[in-house]
Amino acid sequence: MAAPATVSFSLPPLASGWSADKDFKPVGKITSATQRTIEPVGPHFLAHARRARHKRTFSEDDR
Amino acid sequence: MAKTVEPGDRFAIGITFGNSNSSIAHTIDDKAEVIANEDGDRQIPTILSYVDGDEYSGNQAKAFLVRNPTNTVAYFRDYLGQDFKSIDPTHCHASAHPHNTNGTVSFKLKDQPDADEPSTLSVSEVSTRYLRKLVNSASDYLGEKVTSAVITVPTNFSEKQREALIKAANDADLEVLQLVADPIASVLAYDARQESKVEDKMVVVADFGGTRSDVSVVASRGGMHTILATAHDYEFAGTHLDQVLMDHFAKEFIKKYKTDPRENAKSLAKLKAEAEATKRALSLGSNASFSVESLADGCDFASSINRLRYEMIGRKVFEGFSRLVDGVIKKAGLDVLDIDEVILSGGTSHTPKIASNFRNIFPETTTILAPSTTPTAINPSELQARGAALQASLVQEYDAEDIEQSTHPAVTTVQHISNAIGVISTSEDGEDTFVPIIAPETAVPTRRTIHINAAKDGGDVLVRIAEGGTHIKVTQPEPKPKEEKETDSDDSDDSDFDSDEDDEEETREKVWKIGSTLAEAAVRGVKKGGKVEITINVMADLGVTIQMREVGGKGGVRGTLAKP
Ligand SMILES: Nc1ncnc2c1ncn2[C@@H]1O[C@H](COP(=O)(O)OP(=O)(O)OP(=O)(O)O)[C@@H](O)[C@H]1O
Ligand SMILES: [Mg+2]
Repeated sequence: MAAPATVSFSLPPLASGWSADKDFKPVGKITSATQRTIEPVGPHFLAHARRARHKRTFSEDDR
Repeated sequence: MAKTVEPGDRFAIGITFGNSNSSIAHTIDDKAEVIANEDGDRQIPTILSYVDGDEYSGNQAKAFLVRNPTNTVAYFRDYLGQDFKSIDPTHCHASAHPHNTNGTVSFKLKDQPDADEPSTLSVSEVSTRYLRKLVNSASDYLGEKVTSAVITVPTNFSEKQREALIKAANDADLEVLQLVADPIASVLAYDARQESKVEDKMVVVADFGGTRSDVSVVASRGGMHTILATAHDYEFAGTHLDQVLMDHFAKEFIKKYKTDPRENAKSLAKLKAEAEATKRALSLGSNASFSVESLADGCDFASSINRLRYEMIGRKVFEGFSRLVDGVIKKAGLDVLDIDEVILSGGTSHTPKIASNFRNIFPETTTILAPSTTPTAINPSELQARGAALQASLVQEYDAEDIEQSTHPAVTTVQHISNAIGVISTSEDGEDTFVPIIAPETAVPTRRTIHINAAKDGGDVLVRIAEGGTHIKVTQPEPKPKEEKETDSDDSDDSDFDSDEDDEEETREKVWKIGSTLAEAAVRGVKKGGKVEITINVMADLGVTIQMREVGGKGGVRGTLAKP
């Protein structure tokens, strides 16, 4: 996998009253997506096709 | 059943098969290289000509457009798989004409040495013969029999046209590993360069050929490519630039000799051939000559033209190219500010004026990949063949059935998220900013990771994950103070046209706006100056998992969002 991008922004400090179960609070869902066709070319597509056909996840693929 | 070859027996190349030119390419050590045919040409005119039963192709056949036009067949690729009634025969006026054979397209050509009557050859047969020539050139050059190829096709090639092309290739004893869209082959050629990184970028591929211009907007995400919009134009293409020069020199000729070289078929063919040569010369030099022996009525003709003049008389065509690009960006729902890269492809893209027009249309942040604007640009005439060769080398080791399955809609047609997904950062004066992690139009499943600074003093930090969109912020120039004008000298009767004012243009910039919040999380006890790693994984069903931890730290926080 490619090295993660490093960005020069900062996260805000946590407000004192904030709390959530296991420190994670789900708020919403992805609101919109479109069905489109990926062009079946190139090495990255090949990896995608392999995962799709063998129903593998990214982390299984990393191993 | 289409022709297939066992992976072990394959020898594969890339082919681009255009209406005007074709090219063949192969890879050595993962580098693509376009092959010269036996005449030394890398752009091989898609033309066949028959003289006393001998078959000629490429530039040799092209030369026969002057002396032997009726037995020379050109500009036929687009007719493959089409009904006779739906073709545009315009470009075949000066060569073998398309005929209607039970609804399909054919040509009448004297391809036998002593026959009185010409043979009727279907467009499929003509294509097979031409492809066989190409493949033989490649086999001769490579010293091994070419068995298979990836071939590029326009994005608006119908299923029938694709089938017809595969059949024509199979009949030439060639296995088609895969058909690849023209613009995507060009993107692949650039992707394969050593210096290119896997990035998320929005690319416009502008392919200006001989008889058609095709433009696509491609979302390139982590090395995968999705076409968002396409546009096709047949009114403004390379041949129309030839026509501009033909008309220009014809008028000069008429002035001198009182006869129009466009009215005689042979003179017209000579005029066209030289106009094309002059046009190409104008891509390199600021001046080009035009000279034809015995152009009409036995009169020789020699003249010249400079580039500025050419750009002026060709303005309508150049404006047509710009309009096409502008239109397709709008069709994709985007703005020029959204475009990171413009790839100029096709022979006509050598023309410097096209690239300089685009330089003016797009913001400075857009890279224009053309020979005249970027010294490291790849030859626009070679992009598609190179991309096809790269794809051929990638898939040649797979069984035909494997390739078939991987290119099946069940694998290729997936959800693409409409909005970006990112994290909210807060500046010291409390202003929230959206930092994108996954770009819009990314196909799922996908996974992206970023590293972001924690708050200045470390400690517990808030990770707020949200959707984001962009909008174009327009800033009007500050109005000029009025008082100064009153103190102007007496002769200032032109105050309506203060030239300084015209210089000020509104500025347009793309800014992120924060959309709906997806999740909040806490990463606790981050050390001073520490960074936080955020990984977002969007699954095929649009369910999301998010993982956060201090970079170098243990544990971390993890959560999921249900699918919509
Ligand atoms: N150096 C050059 N400068 C300007 N125009 C050029 C140059 N080289 C080739 N061309 C023009 O490019 C056109 C051919 O483009 P290309 O080789 O991409 O063909 P193609 O894809 O087969 O075309 P189409 O299918 O649109 O007919 C011709 O009009 C040719 O005159
Ligand atoms: Mg083309």
